[in-house]
Amino acid sequence: MKFTLHIWRQENARAKGHFETYPLEGISPECSFLEMLDILNEQLINDRIAHPVCFDNDCREGICGMCGLYINGRPHGNDDGITTCQLHMRKFHDGDDIWIEPWRAKPFPVIRDLVVDRSAFDKIIQAGGYISTTTGGVPDANTIPIPKHKADMAMDAASCIGCGACVAACKNASAMLFVGAKVSHLALLPQGKIEAADRVHKMVCKMDELGFGSCTNTYACEAECPKLIKRQNISRLNRQWIGALFGRDRK
Amino acid sequence: MNLPKIHSISKKILVGALGAFLSFFLLFHASANLLILRHDGGEWYNAFCHFMGTYIIVKVMEIGLLAALLLHVVLAIWLAVTNKMARPKGYHKPQRSKTHTGSKLQVWTGILIFACLIMHFTDFYFVKIGLVKGKYLVKTEDIVALKVTQPDAFNYAEQQCEYSAKENWLTNFDKEDKAVLEAAGLEVEPDFYHQAREKFKILHIVIAYLVFFTVVWFHLRHGFAAVFQTFGLYNYKYGKAIEVLGQIYTWVVCLMFAVVVIGVYFGL
Repeated sequence: MKFTLHIWRQENARAKGHFETYPLEGISPECSFLEMLDILNEQLINDRIAHPVCFDNDCREGICGMCGLYINGRPHGNDDGITTCQLHMRKFHDGDDIWIEPWRAKPFPVIRDLVVDRSAFDKIIQAGGYISTTTGGVPDANTIPIPKHKADMAMDAASCIGCGACVAACKNASAMLFVGAKVSHLALLPQGKIEAADRVHKMVCKMDELGFGSCTNTYACEAECPKLIKRQNISRLNRQWIGALFGRDRK
Repeated sequence: MNLPKIHSISKKILVGALGAFLSFFLLFHASANLLILRHDGGEWYNAFCHFMGTYIIVKVMEIGLLAALLLHVVLAIWLAVTNKMARPKGYHKPQRSKTHTGSKLQVWTGILIFACLIMHFTDFYFVKIGLVKGKYLVKTEDIVALKVTQPDAFNYAEQQCEYSAKENWLTNFDKEDKAVLEAAGLEVEPDFYHQAREKFKILHIVIAYLVFFTVVWFHLRHGFAAVFQTFGLYNYKYGKAIEVLGQIYTWVVCLMFAVVVIGVYFGL
């Protein structure tokens, strides 16, 4: 297969970026998107055309959440429930033009080319996405009874890999699905309920402080989440926030 | 100047709460409008308008309603501006994610509704507060009382309108008549029944109002379910039911508005 790639190139965070066009031929349909970029980088290095294109990646099996490219108008490309590393070239047509952009959001500044700084997510987790009780040794699995449906919902929320596709897809660059998932997976379980009001307050305050937009119920985040995390988690976040407004009784 | 600090979710909750209040008002307004279709010379509809225009609690609520409308608009624009700031540099390729188009249009349909409200207020509400001229009415008993004290004014009223002592209201005055009757000491009120029946006989006004209702349909269709989501009431169990209820509510409200306008135009 052959493609014409239009890739965002940016020297560093302060430089003015631009699109660069690279024709690429001989790509196997079974090739993953990141492998295709590896092939391009090999050519760029070997032919001394330009610096290789920088992009984030790690596990390459949809677990780590490191890869994240905005491909032809969709985060993680033209498929549902996958990360960029799980996208394959057979999803494109031979001869396609492919536009590759970094995540765009004020709290995700571009470091270089397609790499963005997503430490804003870490700061939100640091603000309150944890349980601060000393748990001691690992208890038996059934020591604390948890209804199966609650455990399932908590597990679904906990599957968030923090890739940032929700922010990239949202027209407001809102992180509500991420925060919703992180608040939900703790608040649904007895261990997390104790600090639920404080947690939601701290995490939302941090989210606002970092400059993320607010949710206007477009649900692009839900459509693009590689882990298929549902909007109900945002609703739960809102519910928890209302509860925290009145229930967080402090002097 | 530092703007007051309201967290993003609280802002959304405020916009949603005000929107819910305005949506309930729409149902109330649309239901009352159906009285225009009664061929009773406006007896019921104008009696309703008289109640709305004179009852003190309703008058307080009217101020609340206008304040809610303005606050809803201001907060929504404030949210839209801060949301725009969250992505200073946009994407080159337009977004192709599968999303609800209603929410993307929400700010624009909101602005369009506000523009249409200016037309609607010019046709009706501004008549009530005396900014533009329209149709007016007075109580028949007040006219009868003039017969002895001010026969000139009584004769004027009798000539200007089809007078019947059996009816409670003498309707369909113009602004000039209003001035004469007010000079005679009468309490003159807007005659919204005849006002509406006259307006909705004109084709371009009918089309403008139908466009208005279509924009309201778009705004309400997204807004209804969005309010539940914002209040944290949208969950796995009732999510589908909320969406269906939203569709029904939106269609019922907009069709009730439309049926009056179309009905009057076709002589119902």
